[in-house]
Amino acid sequence: MKILCSKDILQTGVNTVQRAVSNKSTLPVLQGILLKAEKQTLTFCATDLEIGIRCEVAAEITEEGSTVVPAKLFSEIVRKLPDTIISLDLNDDVLIIKYFQAEISLKNYDPQEFPLLPDLDDARFFTLPTALLKNMIRQTAFACATEETRPIFTGVLLNIDGHTIKMVGTDTHRLAYRIAEIPNQDELQFNGLIPSKTLSEIYKLIRDEDEFVNINFSDSQISFQFGSINMISRLIDGQFPNYNQVIPKSCDTKIYVSVDSLLDSVERAALIARDNSYANIIRLAISNRILKINKVTEIGKINEKLDIKMEGKDTLISFNAKFLIDVLKIIDCEDIVMEFSGSFSPGIIRPLNDSNYLYLLLPVRAT
Amino acid sequence: MRQLTQAFLEVEEKLISLLEEVRSLMPYVQSLEDENLRLKRESCALPEKETERVIANAARIEGVAHDNLVRLYKDGFHVCHLYFGQPMEAGACLFCAGFLRRE
Ligand SMILES: [Zn+2]
Repeated sequence: MKILCSKDILQTGVNTVQRAVSNKSTLPVLQGILLKAEKQTLTFCATDLEIGIRCEVAAEITEEGSTVVPAKLFSEIVRKLPDTIISLDLNDDVLIIKYFQAEISLKNYDPQEFPLLPDLDDARFFTLPTALLKNMIRQTAFACATEETRPIFTGVLLNIDGHTIKMVGTDTHRLAYRIAEIPNQDELQFNGLIPSKTLSEIYKLIRDEDEFVNINFSDSQISFQFGSINMISRLIDGQFPNYNQVIPKSCDTKIYVSVDSLLDSVERAALIARDNSYANIIRLAISNRILKINKVTEIGKINEKLDIKMEGKDTLISFNAKFLIDVLKIIDCEDIVMEFSGSFSPGIIRPLNDSNYLYLLLPVRAT
Repeated sequence: MRQLTQAFLEVEEKLISLLEEVRSLMPYVQSLEDENLRLKRESCALPEKETERVIANAARIEGVAHDNLVRLYKDGFHVCHLYFGQPMEAGACLFCAGFLRRE
């Protein structure tokens, strides 16, 4: 294998696939990045067997071949390389990196040991506009559980039924739901749980100039192709619970409030709430068209007051501030509607005049 | 002729005693009929009353069960089918809340 390419190209490839490199693998070759030189394309590939990322860049290839470089070391070396044309030359299992008059030799892994990423050849296929997919990921994936003890809640449910696409994420304390219309996909049916980690990596890797994302799926795997990147992920096994029955159909109190004002108030209150045994819990007191957030802790106290529009009964309700901040940060709207049914039932947050998004949040039984 | 009169008198006597016997049986028949009617009514009425009792009891048990589930949930255990009986880490679960509200 003999390659000539710029430092930038190497850096792009390494940075892209590095997210999939295993950091605690029992299989040493998975701590590496597969480099494959073929025709005029240099392909970077990494996988931890849950996610696989492949990235293709153009390079001047004088001799085809492949090798597996140790990911961590190689990426640090690449970062420190001078901004010039770099030559990569494979000699048995040693990669020689040349630049100016210097060279580095690096012992590589055997590419034969590197697992092939499945191609999903017989998979079904559809396309989503990048902006839509990004937005749906941003509005749902944050609500997923992070603990691996409850695998089904570490994934986002993706459901496609003809023209309708839905994404739902929940950690059982809150639930984020987003629905949208997609054109020209009459016969398409899909229901699968995508690891939220996969989605957040896609979110980070997609660039706005990648107009469309091509998605292939089988029963156990899903792949996303955009720009020069191909990402494949397993789907999570298991049945996602019926989320419809957890969404209350009526409410006792309805308030209309500005997202920015509420976010600022809640963030300030959370600062005071932080140093408290009831960590990060804030109470909303709603009455007489005023929303009050009062918090007293050892480090100080805060009184926030917001003018709101309201319908229905006065109410008092406590939430984990973080869960409230999370949703206020991703709502693309100036005003929201919040619906409550007493202090113990979940509150609903929706963008005003937009029925495509819903966030359900359980109150905290607080002091 | 006297013989014939004698015969008629004997028949009359028999009829009178038969009539008396019938009359004496009437109250029994009456009471048996009453009894029968009462039993019939009872046998119809019983299931309805019993059903009401069963429903009331079931509702009571359901109420108790629901209260128990609410208590279990408030004590920090899942009552949803996903994690029934397991302790809740953060003290609340949307699926439990949905389940308890639906009841
Ligand atoms: Zn539960």
